[in-house]
Amino acid sequence: MKVGRKRKGKAEIPTSSMSDIAFLLIIFFMATTKFDVKEGIKLVLPAAAPESAQQAETIQLGDDKMTRLQITADGSIAINKDGARKIDNAELDSIIQQKLRVNDQMIFKVITDREAQYNEMIRVVDRLKAQKAEKISLSTN
Amino acid sequence: MAKIKQTKKREAFIPTGSMSDIAFLLLLFFMVSTVFVQEKKFWVERDRWPVAQSIERIPRNNTTTIYVMKNETILLDDVPTKIESEEDVMIANALRSKKSENPEIVVCFRTDRETKYGAMSDVMRQLQNAETLVVAFEAQKRQ
Repeated sequence: MKVGRKRKGKAEIPTSSMSDIAFLLIIFFMATTKFDVKEGIKLVLPAAAPESAQQAETIQLGDDKMTRLQITADGSIAINKDGARKIDNAELDSIIQQKLRVNDQMIFKVITDREAQYNEMIRVVDRLKAQKAEKISLSTN
Repeated sequence: MAKIKQTKKREAFIPTGSMSDIAFLLLLFFMVSTVFVQEKKFWVERDRWPVAQSIERIPRNNTTTIYVMKNETILLDDVPTKIESEEDVMIANALRSKKSENPEIVVCFRTDRETKYGAMSDVMRQLQNAETLVVAFEAQKRQ
């Protein structure tokens, strides 16, 4: 009797769709990847005066060298010796530009009331940065 | 008569055999560079941040974040605290040790926009005492 030999089928793993799978995974990681950066307004604070420097030299700065922006508890802004009033972004921009035209190295001292909202301080600092003011100082009363 | 030779056209093809290798290399890159942000219990949600226009990008590896919540709770390294008086130097001490580890450190404030400025002022005084002077106020980009 003739015994029929079984033909062995070749075992194969289909790899043609491998790149499709890989590209799908890439798209997933591309969509979910968030590169590790933070975004914010960067400032350098002045160093604290050492206790020994009690008799530090005081310098008087006129309106042509320093502008005081005083933010009150209700969000109004007093510029130098003017009265406090609500100032919108566009007006604030034009005031800052005007001050920078007088002196491009103008120091802007932002004095924020302790009861004022943080948001108001950020708004003023943001406008100063947007108008390329370089010397910004933060203070409170 | 001279016989004109017909030039044989070569078949043009792009080898695609190594496509999956390239794809897997890219995949590995994204897998390694992906950082899943873990939500913390104390959190100042992004929509509570102030809105600003002139914001800069700051690489995260040099930063430490201080959360200041609306109720003036301050959070550094997941430890909630409140600054009651000028003698309270916990934040200054913590920042001083961070500064000694990394002199380039940038302190990022993630503050609720309705927080009273007094709390921020107290924290910034501690920063000055610790001589960590480079700060960033995190903000949402104005559209």
